[in-house]
Amino acid sequence: MPVLNSKELRIVGFLCNWCAYGGADTAGVARAGQPTDLRIIRVPCSGRVDPLFVLKALLEGADGVLVSGCHPRDCHYAAGNFYARRRLEVLKRFLPVLGIDDARFEYAWVSASEGQRWQHVVTSFTKRIHAMGPAPHFDDAKPLLRVADMALTALRPLGTAQNAAVNELKQVIKDKLPELNCVIGWQQGYDGAHATPLFMKTPEDVDKLSWGPFNVMNPAVYLPLFKGKKTGVVVKGCDSRSVVELLQENLIKREDVIIFALPCEGTLDIARVNEKLGRYTRINAVAYDEAGVTITADGKEHRFCMNDFAQGKCYGCATPMAVLADTRLGEPHKVNPVSSVPPELAMLDDMALSERMAFWRGQMERCLRCYACRNACPMCVCRDYCVSDSRNPHWMSQDADINQKLFFQTIHALHLSGRCTGCGECQRACPVGIPILALRQQIARAVAQLFDDYKAGLNPAALPPLLGYEAHEKNIHERDWK
Amino acid sequence: MRIGIFICHCGSNIAGTVDCARVAEISTGFPDVVYATDPVYTCAEPGQAAIEAAIHDHRLDGVVVASCSPRMHEPTFRRTVERAGLNRYLFEMANIREHVSWIGKDRDANTNKAAELVKMAVAKLRNNRPLLAKSFEVNKKVLIVGGGVAGIQAALDCADGGVPVILLERESTIGGKMAKLDKTFPTVDCSACILGPKMVDVAQHPNITLYAYSELEDISGYIGNFTVKIRKRATYVNWEKCTGCGACSEKCPSKKTPDTFNELTGVTTAINIPFPQAIPKKAVISAEHCRQLTKGKCGVCAKICPTGAVVYDMQDDVVTEEVGCIIAATGYDLMDWTVYREYGGGQYPDVITSLQYERLLSTSGPTGGHIRRPSDGLEPKHIVFIQCVGSRDKSVGRPYCSGFCCMYTAKQAVLTKDHLPFSQSYVFYMDIRAPGKLYDEFTRRAVEEYGVEYIRGRVSAVYPDGEGAYVVMGVDTLLGRSVEIKADIVVLAVGIEASRGAAALAEKLRISYDNYGFFMESHVKLKPVETNTAGVFLAGVCQGAKDIPASVAQGSATAAKVLALFARDRLENDPQTAQVDTRRCVGCGKCIRCCPFGALKETTIRGEIKADVIETVCQGCGLCTTTCPQGAVQLSHATDNQILAEVNALCRC
Repeated sequence: MPVLNSKELRIVGFLCNWCAYGGADTAGVARAGQPTDLRIIRVPCSGRVDPLFVLKALLEGADGVLVSGCHPRDCHYAAGNFYARRRLEVLKRFLPVLGIDDARFEYAWVSASEGQRWQHVVTSFTKRIHAMGPAPHFDDAKPLLRVADMALTALRPLGTAQNAAVNELKQVIKDKLPELNCVIGWQQGYDGAHATPLFMKTPEDVDKLSWGPFNVMNPAVYLPLFKGKKTGVVVKGCDSRSVVELLQENLIKREDVIIFALPCEGTLDIARVNEKLGRYTRINAVAYDEAGVTITADGKEHRFCMNDFAQGKCYGCATPMAVLADTRLGEPHKVNPVSSVPPELAMLDDMALSERMAFWRGQMERCLRCYACRNACPMCVCRDYCVSDSRNPHWMSQDADINQKLFFQTIHALHLSGRCTGCGECQRACPVGIPILALRQQIARAVAQLFDDYKAGLNPAALPPLLGYEAHEKNIHERDWK
Repeated sequence: MRIGIFICHCGSNIAGTVDCARVAEISTGFPDVVYATDPVYTCAEPGQAAIEAAIHDHRLDGVVVASCSPRMHEPTFRRTVERAGLNRYLFEMANIREHVSWIGKDRDANTNKAAELVKMAVAKLRNNRPLLAKSFEVNKKVLIVGGGVAGIQAALDCADGGVPVILLERESTIGGKMAKLDKTFPTVDCSACILGPKMVDVAQHPNITLYAYSELEDISGYIGNFTVKIRKRATYVNWEKCTGCGACSEKCPSKKTPDTFNELTGVTTAINIPFPQAIPKKAVISAEHCRQLTKGKCGVCAKICPTGAVVYDMQDDVVTEEVGCIIAATGYDLMDWTVYREYGGGQYPDVITSLQYERLLSTSGPTGGHIRRPSDGLEPKHIVFIQCVGSRDKSVGRPYCSGFCCMYTAKQAVLTKDHLPFSQSYVFYMDIRAPGKLYDEFTRRAVEEYGVEYIRGRVSAVYPDGEGAYVVMGVDTLLGRSVEIKADIVVLAVGIEASRGAAALAEKLRISYDNYGFFMESHVKLKPVETNTAGVFLAGVCQGAKDIPASVAQGSATAAKVLALFARDRLENDPQTAQVDTRRCVGCGKCIRCCPFGALKETTIRGEIKADVIETVCQGCGLCTTTCPQGAVQLSHATDNQILAEVNALCRC
């Protein structure tokens, strides 16, 4: 059945059984007239409302979504709405980065006795949605392709780390090797301008260890695979945050992991390097100096200054040295901490909502659904049971449409709420260069704003904010309905 | 699946604004629907029989009823489909009355909306699975919070029924507000004489454990198996030794302690027993006023106590009790009437609350039952009663009627004439609300036999006349003119609100409460003493204004509920619990960390750590399902697939 022509818009409500649904019943019993647009889905608790249900509805064509539950401190299940409040507020701050107006989603607390309040909430929310009109759809947006200017001013000097204590580290690893299953690091890849993962089991393997701006991948991604086996890992600062987050989430055990760290001076954005190199048959030489790399490909020299070709995340990196390590060698450059918006996010910040929608439309058209983003993510731990492959729960279908692709990205991003350390591997792994890190960055920004500047992966003992709550949230204020 | 649809007319309740036949017709087009009809009353006996018949005749294996709220009749229809051999969870409801027909008048829009709600219900039903309950043991012990007349009645009835009772009282004596009353309407019999014996019964009943001067610290668990923590506040007197002789309070030098039992109309000693009939009759030291505890020197009571019961260094004690269900009977408090600046806002000593006046009437009160003005101790000649001070007054945010003020005002006016035969009482009233048995007769007696002058109208100001009396300015709306009455004492019938701390208790009990702190019953008419939290019941004014007979009736009603519950040795859990798909579970423990009930625990399966649900502890909130990114924990009957099916049914069209 289509929405009644010109009369109604599609508004979906998720109501907890005990308070809000009861409040809606109370309003009905009192014959408190309301607009007819709203369709109510009854759930046991607002804590049961996965933010992804809201997104699903919005992507599938809802013009507005309303979540309602018991007033804070009045939850039938003691604390469900406390968790809901945090998750829904993060969602609300996430929607605009997709190009969805956050006014189309609202949550409100209504008790079972508050029939009048319910009438007021429904009436004013419906009025708001009608004032905004039917929601624009990604399908209808004209694709917009825009590339962020990735080179920013770095918080510290970026370099090529040629003075790092690599040989010293190799000796330490060799000493530790007998008690370890293996040590994960990097080695030179198919040519001098690329690195690949290295799994060191013998001293000869250790000699292959390389360190420098081509060590882009995050070795922490492999750690959960070695769960229960004592494993070493060589980390850059950003990688160490993933290790910490894995520890925080009980996905690996501290006693099972030995962390070796060197100070990172930044890594290269391989996509941009490849772009500049263009097509080539072989790399003749890679020469390092303090400020960058000179690559000779097919006899032609290409200069890559770190300040111009680093990964976007490296410019704003405040943790060049591992936040947690068993062995730390070398001295990192001092960081002058200034808050800076990552380049991908800055680009989206500058766009209007409609442009963002058009942007994601354009980007998602390019998405291959290869799931390299997922496979590269150290915090993606579902592996064989990813909802994108297993089809159960039925979050996604096989359809290769914009909504499905974008929905996968939002699933990934929301599953990473308060967990993403911003390592950027999802974006780096993307073969078509979709700046999906921006979605995670927006959530990380919201989490930091809401929860005392919380950043994932800094403290193994910290409770991730979306796995906890405060009875009185400092930064989440109940929106009144006047 | 073979789904049958029943679109209920509910007489004209639904059919009045929804084309039910049309909804049924549309429903036949939904997937798996093989049968649709629109009975006039689905919940009635013939309606339920028709569902059973249709299940047999059309070999249905799923039923959708579109009618009233599932909060009303879901259990009814679940039983219906179960009688016909279906699992009760192969049933869904669409709420087309409270959420459709009663809130909108547009027939087309309502019909369309009703059909969509049915479509959603069908979509969910197609994802339903049969669920089976597990049974668990019941701890046959009841906790009653509040020792007023409702709590006392509930305690005695439960105890007489053989159930061990824990009675919790915040004050040092039970009795509640009724113990403060001198006489009760409409019979004008003595409050202490009818309540006193019940209080003694509580003290003597072998099945009742009384915790006075104690508060509820924490509650965990669920129906049949609650664990409660009780904070026994320090009384500084060992009640095991105290005999209630009163020697301590006779000698206590701190004689200016505000007397809360007497509603601050008098003073008492720092160590005291609130009134002669107190249960338990034990002394308590007020830590704020005791010289020994505030200044460190005195110790008179410890010296005088013949049993050596005084313990100055006593600390609060927290005890844990296990109970099967809980009755809340926390009563009420007066609203803050000092907001009424026009009545002096608490500034004039002779403008008092009716509860204070009650203490002046009472023989156990500060004046020994002689009515004397608080300011100068003289007998008043003109007494003005003002009703509805904080009741039915939206301007102070109290739109509700406090229920019993009309009656006690009449009673106090009658008693005033008894005490002071030459006095004249005036009552400013809005309406006389006297619907109880013998109530209207009583108010008439006040007017006709006792000469109380009733003036219909509000009072605009009370101010001192400079000669020791007060001027009450008001309006007589029947005569249509303003009146001024000289009063020696003004008694305000102050409206009630839920007992202080009621909201905090509701949060611990996980029950709802309204804006004024009154607890929400499960159904306003049909389940007046139940709450939406299984195993928690309500008695007395904590649920809403009511007088003594109604409170006593509710006390007994909750006892009946408790005894019915405890008649069974085992209860069945609600099978809408979380289930773990161990293949998907990565053992991260996020669900365990979030579960508000501790219903998830770690287990080891083939050497790997996995989450496991303790089904009898799981309350079915589904927080774990939302928390688990893998979708490994699914709340039965509200799985991701079921909710997604509803979202898709609604949005993909």
